[in-house]
Amino acid sequence: MAHEFRLLETGFHTAAFNMGLDEALLGSVAEGKSLPTLRFYGWKPPAVSIGYFQGLHEEVDVDACRAAGVDVVRRITGGGAVFHHYEVTYSIVVPLSHQLARPNILDSYRLLLGGIIDGLALLGIEAEFAPINDIVTGGKKISGNAQTRKRGCILQHGTILLDVEVDLMFSLLKVPQEKARGKLIEDVKERVTSVQHFFKIRGQTPKFKLLYEETVAALKQGFASALDLSLVGSSPDEAELAEAQRLADEKFASRHWTELR
Amino acid sequence: MKLELIGKPGGCKLLRMTLEVEPPLSPASRLQRISIRGDFFAVPEEAFEEVEHELEGTALAELGLRFDALVLEKGIQCAGIGGAGLAELVQNLLVQKEQQHGT
Repeated sequence: MAHEFRLLETGFHTAAFNMGLDEALLGSVAEGKSLPTLRFYGWKPPAVSIGYFQGLHEEVDVDACRAAGVDVVRRITGGGAVFHHYEVTYSIVVPLSHQLARPNILDSYRLLLGGIIDGLALLGIEAEFAPINDIVTGGKKISGNAQTRKRGCILQHGTILLDVEVDLMFSLLKVPQEKARGKLIEDVKERVTSVQHFFKIRGQTPKFKLLYEETVAALKQGFASALDLSLVGSSPDEAELAEAQRLADEKFASRHWTELR
Repeated sequence: MKLELIGKPGGCKLLRMTLEVEPPLSPASRLQRISIRGDFFAVPEEAFEEVEHELEGTALAELGLRFDALVLEKGIQCAGIGGAGLAELVQNLLVQKEQQHGT
């Protein structure tokens, strides 16, 4: 029997609200007020998010972000810095007691990222899991993901790149030389690809809105097939929205949190 | 003295460390303060700060083993970071300093 999951498509929000809503949803699932949840969303304005353990000023040119009108937020999950603009972002919350939860972080990524890999396949993109937390196609990253475990639940969120603004991205993020060397690729721009790239190969250049909608549709199907989900369309309730706003204001938009490291 | 280390040791994500140790620098130098940053995962995240705190007083040569022991003791699950990686960064630093001293 398929696993019943709540499906949320929450549109485009600020970085602080997006992170607040992911944490609020984790709370709802943890308290048994909600089904396990799959959410799709975007960012307005564009944003840079950094991993829980990253040093803000080591990873992000904060002044450049401010000048470009780009939000900056620290996630509750580990992982690296991400520029969120032309992408689909998802989050998934699963209780640790659920059949789809795995005790081991890597096993958990492997299982849950099956949804994205199947979704990309529906878009004609053959992709694979690249441990620890990436999905690659043709050796290039198309999806980055991050995971935490809190209050008896797994929260995993991540991005599927729809298009890449390489120059803007690298004007906002500080990419250390060691990282590029470690990946054995001279030019960091060569490490990333996007859904749009594959549409272009087929002679298609859909506008962002259509690309976003088509990708979300494929990902819904991908998660449903890979994880055997029965998705129940829904919206965050008033309490969740209020909690998301509280977390956005008091935590994610606060200087204390953003500059934690 | 304050030391900044950065690197991507085998099996690890990009790691950055800020170490404060009593000079002169040697494998026996004890950590006065340590901050570990990077794009690794450690769950629960909040317990990681306890590990950093409890690493204070550890000799540089023992950093890797002590880190692994504390992570185990606190039930932290790590991905992209480990004692061997931290030890590798410290070892590289010590070799580098020794070479500088020798030249």
